[in-house]
Formats: sequence, structure tokens, C-alpha cells
Amino acid sequence: MKKTRINRRTMLKGLGTATIGLPLLEEMTLSSVAGKAKAEVPIRAFNIFFGLGIPAPLQTEGFQGVLEPLKSLGDKLLIMRQVDQVRCDEKGINAHYDGASGAFTAEPPDGEARAGGPSIDQVIRKTHYPNGLPVGMVPTLIGGTFFRRSRVGRYVHSYNMDGTVAATIQEKPRDVFDRVFGTVSLAGGDKDFRRRRLKRSVLDSVVDDYRFYTGANSPLGAASKARIADHLDRIREFEQRAFSLKSKDSNAPDFPPRSNVPHGGPADPGGQGIDITLEELTSEWRLVADLYALSIQLDRVRFGSLTFLAAGERIRLTGDYEYGGKKLWSFDDAAQHNASGDKGCSHEWWHKFNEKKKNEQLRAHAHMKMREVAYFLHRLDDAESREPNGKTILENSLITISTESGDGRHNDVKRELSGVFHAITGANGRFKTGQIMDVDAEGVDVYNTMLDAMGVSHRLGPVEREMQPVDGIRT
Amino acid sequence: MRKSHGLVAAGCLAILASTLPGAEGDSEASNGTAARTVAGLLALYDFGSTDGDIVTDRSGVRPPLNLQISNPQAARRTKGALEIHGKTQILSTQQATKIIQAVRRSGEITIEAWVRPSDTGLSGPARIVTLSGGSSERNFTLGQDGAKYDVRFRTTKTNANGIPSLSTDNGSVKTDLTHVVYTRDRSGLTRIYLNGQSIAETKVVGSSSKWTRSHKLALANEFNSDRQWKGTYYLVAIYSRDLSPPEVKRHFDAGRDAPAAPAEMAGRHLAQLSPGEQLFETKIAPLLARNCLECHNSASKKGRLDLSRKATALAGGESGKVIVPGKSTESLLWEQVETGDMPPEGQPLTPAEKTLLKQWLDAGAIWSLDTIDPAIYTHDEKAGRTWVRRLTVPEYIETVRSSVGVDILKEAREILPPDVRADGFSNTAYNLNVDLKHVEAYSRLAEIVVGRMDVLAFAKRFSKSRSLSTDATMRDLVEAMGTLLLRGPLEEREITNFSGIATVVASTGGDFKEAVTYIIEAMLQSPRFIYRIENQRGDGSVWPVSDFEMASRISYIVWGGPPDRELLRAAESSELQDRQLVEAQVRRMLEDPRAMRRSVQFVGEWLNLDRLVNLRPNSKRFPNWDAALGADMRRETLAFFEDVAWKQKRPLADLLNAQFTYATPRLAQHYDLEVQPASDGNSERLTRYDLSSVPARGGLLTQGSVLTVGGDDASMVTRGLFVLHDLLRGTVKDPPPGLDTTPVPAKPGLSQRRIAEQRIANTACSGCHSKFEPLAFGLEKFDGIGVFHEQDEHGNTLRDNGEILFPGAAKSIKYKSSAELMDLLADSDRVGASITWKMTQFALGRPLVAQDAKQVQKIHELAARGGGTYASLLTSIVTSDLAMMTRTQTE
Repeated sequence: MKKTRINRRTMLKGLGTATIGLPLLEEMTLSSVAGKAKAEVPIRAFNIFFGLGIPAPLQTEGFQGVLEPLKSLGDKLLIMRQVDQVRCDEKGINAHYDGASGAFTAEPPDGEARAGGPSIDQVIRKTHYPNGLPVGMVPTLIGGTFFRRSRVGRYVHSYNMDGTVAATIQEKPRDVFDRVFGTVSLAGGDKDFRRRRLKRSVLDSVVDDYRFYTGANSPLGAASKARIADHLDRIREFEQRAFSLKSKDSNAPDFPPRSNVPHGGPADPGGQGIDITLEELTSEWRLVADLYALSIQLDRVRFGSLTFLAAGERIRLTGDYEYGGKKLWSFDDAAQHNASGDKGCSHEWWHKFNEKKKNEQLRAHAHMKMREVAYFLHRLDDAESREPNGKTILENSLITISTESGDGRHNDVKRELSGVFHAITGANGRFKTGQIMDVDAEGVDVYNTMLDAMGVSHRLGPVEREMQPVDGIRT
Repeated sequence: MRKSHGLVAAGCLAILASTLPGAEGDSEASNGTAARTVAGLLALYDFGSTDGDIVTDRSGVRPPLNLQISNPQAARRTKGALEIHGKTQILSTQQATKIIQAVRRSGEITIEAWVRPSDTGLSGPARIVTLSGGSSERNFTLGQDGAKYDVRFRTTKTNANGIPSLSTDNGSVKTDLTHVVYTRDRSGLTRIYLNGQSIAETKVVGSSSKWTRSHKLALANEFNSDRQWKGTYYLVAIYSRDLSPPEVKRHFDAGRDAPAAPAEMAGRHLAQLSPGEQLFETKIAPLLARNCLECHNSASKKGRLDLSRKATALAGGESGKVIVPGKSTESLLWEQVETGDMPPEGQPLTPAEKTLLKQWLDAGAIWSLDTIDPAIYTHDEKAGRTWVRRLTVPEYIETVRSSVGVDILKEAREILPPDVRADGFSNTAYNLNVDLKHVEAYSRLAEIVVGRMDVLAFAKRFSKSRSLSTDATMRDLVEAMGTLLLRGPLEEREITNFSGIATVVASTGGDFKEAVTYIIEAMLQSPRFIYRIENQRGDGSVWPVSDFEMASRISYIVWGGPPDRELLRAAESSELQDRQLVEAQVRRMLEDPRAMRRSVQFVGEWLNLDRLVNLRPNSKRFPNWDAALGADMRRETLAFFEDVAWKQKRPLADLLNAQFTYATPRLAQHYDLEVQPASDGNSERLTRYDLSSVPARGGLLTQGSVLTVGGDDASMVTRGLFVLHDLLRGTVKDPPPGLDTTPVPAKPGLSQRRIAEQRIANTACSGCHSKFEPLAFGLEKFDGIGVFHEQDEHGNTLRDNGEILFPGAAKSIKYKSSAELMDLLADSDRVGASITWKMTQFALGRPLVAQDAKQVQKIHELAARGGGTYASLLTSIVTSDLAMMTRTQTE
């Protein structure tokens, strides 16, 4: 892995070796920051989503199977099996989208860009911070590394009370950085930031287009290509002027470099999937995860969500996969499927899942996803994350980990939306940890039990429905 | 034409062979008699290479879709043939995007193959040509099922396998050389032709809009399973339209070896010169023009030698013959050059130039031009290079207006940096560069434009959907909207890129309208909007421009704006490869007001009328000058042009002597005309003035807009150079370095005319000044601001007689008055040809070079036959090879 891990300590030591240039901001050098000054542990809630799910039968293998990477965190997690999200089914739409929208909301989607209701992190935020978060904090941080993006619910996992997205998703490391540490987030509101984000996406598309005409496949001759290259240089200059960070520190480096994996339109070419190496994927993700974790450690963020690969993700992954010093698998989806386009994507392993077979490829993918989810969780469980009560941020926060389905074969909605993997942290002693539990309950009841334990009176799901508490998960 | 090979088996094939034009012994009969069509051609494989594992796409349509032979041991390559005898597959190295996109759009196709099946038992069907993803998923497959040909074409009404298919009768497959063609038109009518005859027909309804975008093209086998075809391929071609029965017959008649690649056809079309002619026209004539014609031209004829004309050059001068074809050593020309005696002044010829001259003489001194016109060698070949063309400010404004219906004139004029003139025009592509200000302006203008649009109504023109989903509906909308805004179909890459914006908008909680707004904003800044992007890459020869490139060429030449829906439709139907259909389009477009606006831009550029707005003559010398007169003069010339070219549709040469003009009361007074107040009393209104009784005025050169080029002093030099360069396309060397060019002032007893005559009498000056100053003599009675006088301010009597030497002519022609000069100019073919050059340069956006000369001459002759009007000239330009073809550049 090429990247250098970013954590609070390296930030404080100086940023020379960081993969992206981060300005040394004043607050990073303070010995204490807003939230940490108090002995009291703040309420925090985050939703971690990973795409395509884990077929229910594989969940039964516990840490012996694809959940192995979570084993080292086993004491700090409650792994829940047999969580049913069938109520999230929306007729005519496959379960990737339904299940993904249902994750953390327990509601089917409401159109293409809205969830049927709020997500648990946002309900908790509204209750505990009715007048907003302390000044300078990012109200909600949504980030992720994902490619499939035909519908928002596939990758956004924080929703306002009315089901609209709770914040603009940051999908590049520099976007996460900009959102958290850029001066805009301090001075301007989310509205300004949103406009900047959209403007930049327009400019990104334009840059991509100009880049094509200067590249190897350009239809232009040498002189014309040079003219377009000139234009591209000017656009970059414009971009620097229009969007570069105006950091507090005069020594702050320039705007961070571009991400190396596709974003925007090229990330999802009409559902056909993209080719990507394991190194590209995990390098990008870990940078996002590091920055996200750093934002929490510096108490700039207390609510939000993070996505590692979208619901129904379509990638053709290549590269050797190692875990615990051993090579477990060689990813090469297209070759192993002997197909190209969408049919050559890892997604197809979920379609081809068969309990009676080895499902080696699916297992490798699911195992890798757990490794990457665990990577982020560990970042909140290290020495930098130790809080005044002696516990780590991971232990003190409510972190909910879920996905879209318990079976990816699309031939039985009930089966597909049953047994959807869930795991939660202890939330400063509110929930049991160190167990793998068959809760055998609806997602809505699990979530509402969690809300109850968090001191939140609002309930997810239909108003008239009587809650069926899942007390087994509470301490 | 390539020779065919003796691959037809003897015996039972004898009868067939006699009817097959592609067969041995018959190929010559088809030579050149029946060309293959290139309209709509997408991919072409003629198996010309004999080695390697790559089968090259020779359609010339970018990007090439080359194929790779997976198992070369199972194939045998000979020139023009590929025999498959074992298990292999010939597979495209990338997705067949250009075919898929084109057919998705057109709904039409032609699959053509010259093949010889190895036996009649191949089944599966065995894949001859397939665009598929496996044994049960395809866009199309031309196959052989036993003794039948079978074609599957996927539509929205067939299954994913393209079934039901269309088959020929059992027994129709022979192991002979066979021409198999499948066509489908937009209505769904499909046909299979064998050897030029339609033998199977059915209707396959539905559209091809759901064709899978990721399929590859393959020959001889299916992708994942064993559907091996065996036999020999001679040609495979795929078109985005259904060839008509006569076209199919013509292809059959042309035979399997008919020249097919457009590069070859175009090359033949333009490069008809023999090597000797090429040497003369591209190397020797410019060499003579640069080094010899200054003295040895028709007028100067030093040593009684005129090297500018074929007849006189070969005849020789006072020392006898100077050129002995085939014998450089006996040629005086060579002797003089080799010894360095010639040229007597300036730089001697370089060794390389000397070698060329010697080679040319020894090779027979081929002289393929009647006259060498130095004007066409003003620019070297580099100047004729194709540059991508950024839209000029007026083009940008018109493009926005036509595309999205927003008038951005005011803001664009304010924000966009003005285009700078180069080589006489501000649309000269090489000079249309970009700076940060442009980028900022395009971004800001895009914002303003979308802010003024009814985005939802605009989107509704392309799609009823208001879905933000980027998988289908949004992509379709982007594709349809982009085709209009970006003036041609979008590539997958572009659809994906622009659709991505919708995703970002959705993920920030935005709605459909906002998504479309940002997408349009991005499109308005994309290179395909800001520039006129064309394919420039190829093999270095001349290629036809593609359908949509042609649509843009036509629209920007005629309108200075983007193609309308009708032009885009014609492009989609490949109609713009046909000169007659192009002509019909131009006729239609000339009726649109945009055509006139564009012509006015041309005149403004040609005569540099924008400078008039800033005209500030010396106030002491011209105390009566009114600053508004400059603008009046500009308007006068444009109104005059509109009257000649559009209202009266007169030949453009009449611009030189038409006996009327337009003036405001202010300008009429300035010109000393009898002022006719406007009927509504508006003092800014132009009124038409008949000048038939005003002998001094009439024609462009007598208008203030042109007369003011001479500055306050009414410089003979500047006015003369204007006539020489801009009306006669003459050439003259720059003044020697260090020469004092301060104008000599007139004084009592010494008029400007007299000063000029003194210069011309001076031998050091006469060589050049005699070429242009007399051209201004006829204008002497007009002062620096265009007022007519009989005497100058010093009391010197002014004259308007003189003589004119047309470039290339041996003798000058005398004229008695300004009016006679105007008539001479109007009647001159040289002036007419110069207007053609100017307009052609404006149309192409680049200086014209020697390579263009013959085409421009053709344009001029054709336009003259059409009456020499603006319409005929424009039509001739648009239908010329200069507009319909493009010289490609090698990688």
C-alpha cells in the first residue's frame, strides 16, 4: 500500500509524508479541542455502510468466515444476525436500493433521492443537539468510496427528518478535507458549501472533457491538441483561484491533488462497472477513512455516515488480497466470470451465490470489505482515540454498521431483505458487546430500541405501529 | 486496385466465376466502374495485410476498430484474404462503440461480406460476423446455419438473442465466393442479398435503442461458445444505414477488390497530380515566385524573360532558351543559378533549392500551370494547417442563441476578450487562443445563460422523464440534449461524464431541474461547445469530413452558428456527403436571416470596418469632423453590401461600381450629396441615394469606410496597398529595413500625386511603388476623411486619371477618371477571384496556401457560372472539397 497513514499524531508531528497535503491548521496544534476539554463524553452516532451485503448463511460462520476481520474488535461490537428489513421493499425496484435505503432508516425509499424517513444518526443529533452543534463543527459529515451511483440511497446514509439527504456527500479525500478543515466550513453555511461542491462537479466534468482532447485518443492533430492543452491549463488556473482553500495558515500547501480513482460520471458508466485494482480501491478508501476518523478525533464531527462501496456496487476488481500476512485470494472478477461490462463485475458473485458451493469469490470480496470496515473502526480505537472516561471513541460512540441485503439473488424479496447484517458499538455502555446475537427482529424495532437507549423519544417507522422492543441488545 | 487472387476453384465454379466480378480474370472489368459508397460506413476490413495477428479497420472512421486473431495457427493470411481453417476467433480489441452508437441512433444497418464458406455443414449458426456478448446475447449476428444464411438483429421487439431471425432458403449457401449483404431500414424492413440480388425479406419491428453498449465485434466465432465458422473472408463492411438495392448491386458489381477506403478515394480525388506536377506546383513554382518573378514577370520582363507564364518561360528571353527539359546542364536557368549570378540581389538559392531545381529540369521540366501567381505562395504550407477552431465572439453569441434561445450578446461582448485579427480576419483559427479571461468568461456566461433558460421546458424537448436516475432516462436526456448543444452525437464517455453531474446534484438533495441546469452549464463550457472539434488524425491524406462535422461546417460557414435540427437530421441520414443535397441545404439556409448576418460579418472583417468606430481625424485639420460619421460610414458600407448582395442579388463585383449608396443626413452632407431627410425625421436613419448623376462616387472605394484607410493625409501608399492586397491579391515586398517611411507632406505646387510620381520615378523605389501607388491615383480627389475636392488644401489641382496594372498582366490599362477605375475593377476577373479568396479564407478560418489554389479557382469558376452572387459563391465554397474534405495528420 502506497499511502501513509494519517492520524492525529502524524498531523501534529508535521505533514511531510502525508499522501495529500494538509494545511497545518491552528486547531490541530491545540492540546485540547472543544469537545475534549470536557470530561463528559459527547453523544455521537455514525452509520457505516458497505455494499452488496453478506448472505445470511455466511453470517452463521461467525469469525471463522468472512467476519474474521471483525474478530479483533469483537469485544467492542454487537453483531446482530437475523435482522429483517422486508418492510423496506418497494415494488418494482430491486433490493439493492430498497435495502440500502432501509439501512439505518427502516423505511423504503421515497422516490429517487429521498429516504422514507430519517436515519438514526440524524434523529439522535436532533434530540441531543436541538439548537445545533457547537460553533465550528460540521453538523453532519457524509463520506465514502463508492462507484455505483444511479440512485442516492445507494451511497448516502444520513437523512434528515423529512428524508432528504442530511449533507453533501464527500467522495474524494480532498473533499472530506475541504469540508472539515476548509475555511468555508467555518465561515459559510452548508448552502455555500453545497454550491461550491456542485460548481466543482461541473468544472470536474469540463476538465475531464478537455483532458480527453489532449490525450492519446484525441481526434486532434498536434497543434490543435496544444491549443486545447493550453485551455486546460487555464481551467486549472481558474480552478485554483476559484476553489483553492484559503487556509488560516500562510504555510498551507496548495489545494490537494486529484484523487486517482474515478468520480462523478466516469465512476458509474451507465451501470456497466469499472475496472479497479485492490490497491487503488483501498488506498482511496483508507485516506477517506483516515480523514473521517481524524475529524472525529479532533471533535469536528459527531454525526454522519461513511460508505465503503455502494449498494449494488459494480466493480471489476483485480489484485492479490492478503490478510494476516497470508495471500487469501487473487481478485480478477472479469476473467473469473469470463465476461466483460456489468457481467464481469463482483456484483455477479452475489447473483451466483449458492449455499451448496464454495462461493470463494464472494467470500473473498466480503472478507475484504470487513477488513476495510475494521480498518476504520480501529482508527477510532487507537491511542489517539482515548477519551477522558478511559474508553475509546469507538466504545463511546454509537456506530451502526449495515448493508443492503441478506441475499443477493433477486429471486425472493423476502429472503433478500431478511438476515441483513448489522453490528453496533456499545455507545458508552448502552448496548451489549462481545457477542454475535441472533436477534430475530425487524430492523425498525432494533433501531427504535437503539433510539430508546440513546434517550431519544422519536421513533422510526409508521406512527401507528406499536414498537416491539429488542431488549436483548441493551445492557 | 489490388489484383485479385486465384482462389476460385476450377470446374463447377466456372459458371459462377464468369458472373462474379470479384473473381480472377474479371477484376479489371470492374476497375473504377462502380465505386463503393462510403456514406454511413462504420467499419471496413479488406484483409490487406498478410502478416501479424491484427486485422485493420480501414474505414477511416475513428477510432479504428481493429480485430485480433486469437489463434493465428488456425488462420492463413494472403493479400486480401483471410482463410479460417481451424478453431479461432477474430475479436475486436475494444468495445465496438462506434458501431453500437451509430446503429442505436440510426436504427439502420448494412452488414456486408465477401466470403467463401468452406462447407455447407457449418452450423450453430456459425458466426461469420457477430456483435454479441455470448451465445444468447447479441446486437447482431450474420451466420451460416447449414446451407442457409441466418441473420439475427436485436430490437426492442426481439429477444436478447435477436430472434426471430431472417434466413435464406435452404441450399442458398455455396462454397463459392459469395457477396452476402444484410440490410435493415428504420421501419424494420430487413433483407438479405446474395450476389447483388435480394433473396429474403421480412419485417423486424422495434428499435435498436436497447442495444448493449459493451459488446465487441467478432468474426468466425462466438465469444464464449463454439460457433466456429470456416472459410475465407475477402471483405467485411458495416454501415450505419441500409444500403439501397442499387447500392448493393453496385457493390456486388464493383467486386470484392473495389477500392473502398475513403482515404484512397479522397486521395485520388484531390491528388490527381503526377509526381512531376506535384514537384512543380509545390516546390518549383514557389521557388520561382520567391526568387525570380520580381524581375522576370509579365510587366517587368527583364532580359525579355517572363518566367511567370508557361509559354513565355519555355520560349526564353533575349539570351535564348533558358529551360531545356531533361537537360539541366544545357539550361541557362540552371547555369545562372548554379554560378550564383541569379538572383542578382538578396540571398542566393540554398543548396537544397538548387538540387530541387536541377532535379526538376532533369526530370523534364514539367510545367503544369499556365501562370505562376506569386500571391498563392504568400503563405507556406504550414499556414494551411488545420487548427481546431474556437468559436469567435459572434459565433459564440449565435451558438448560444440558436442552441438554447438566450440572447447573450451584451454580456458576451462585455466579458469575453475580443478576437484579434490575423491575416486579415479575426476568425483565423491559429490566432484564436485562450487565456484565463476566456475560461472565467465561459464559466460566468454559462451561469448567466442557464439562469435565463426555462430549463424544464428545454429538457422537455428531449425527454418526458424528470427522473434523476443516471442509468437510463438521465443518460438518454443527456444524449439527446447533448446532440443538439454539442452539435452531434455524444460518445459514451461524454454521456457518462455529464450524467455524473446529475448524481452529484442528487446526492446533495437537489432535484431534476437543478441537475439539468448544471449539466447544461457544463456542456456550455465543454470543448465541443467552445470549439469546433473535428477529427484531424489519419494517414496524412485527404478524408471526407464526417456527417456531423459537415453539418457544423455548413452551418458555421453559412450562418456563423450551429446546425439546426434539419441539418442534424441530414447529417444523421448521411445526406451531407452528397454535394447536391448539401447544395439544397445551403439554398434553404440562405433564406434564413442568419445567412445575411454572417455575410455582413464577412464584409466587416474584410474591410476592417470596426476600426471606424474609433476614427479620430486631426481636429485642427478637419474641424468639421463629427465623431458619429465613423459609425455612419460603417453602416453605409454594410447597407450598401446588403442591397447589392441580398436585395438585388447582384454579382459581388458590382460592389466596386454600383451607383448608389446609403447615408444618414449627416453623412450625405459630408459627401456633399443633396440631403434627403428621412421620412420620419430620424437623423440616424440611412437613406438610399442614387449616384448615377454623381460621377465621382459609386462603389466601395468611394465610400468613407475605405477612403479613410489612407489616414488624414489620404496616403497614396496605404490606399494603393489596400487595393493591391485586398482587391487584387497582389504581392509586394516589404520596404527595405531602415528606410525612412515618414510621409512627405504636400505643399503648394506639390500634390500627393506629384510626390507619388516622384517616388515612382526613383529607380530605388519604382520596382515596388509602381505596383501599387498608381492604383490610388483615381482616389486622389477624396481627402483623408472621404470628402471630394477638386483642389487640395494648398491649392494644387487634383486629378483622378491613372493606370492600373493587374497582377500577372503584361501591360497596364489607362483610366481617365475614378469612375473608369471602378468599372475596370468591377470587370476584372482578378478582383472577382480575390473576393472568392477572401470569402473562402473567412469560411475556412485559415490563410489559403498553394495547395488550395486549384480548389479556390474551381470555386471561383463555379460561382461565376452561377452569376457571381453571394449565394453562388457561398454555395460553391460549401460544396467544394475545401469544405467537404479535410487533410488528416498522421499520429
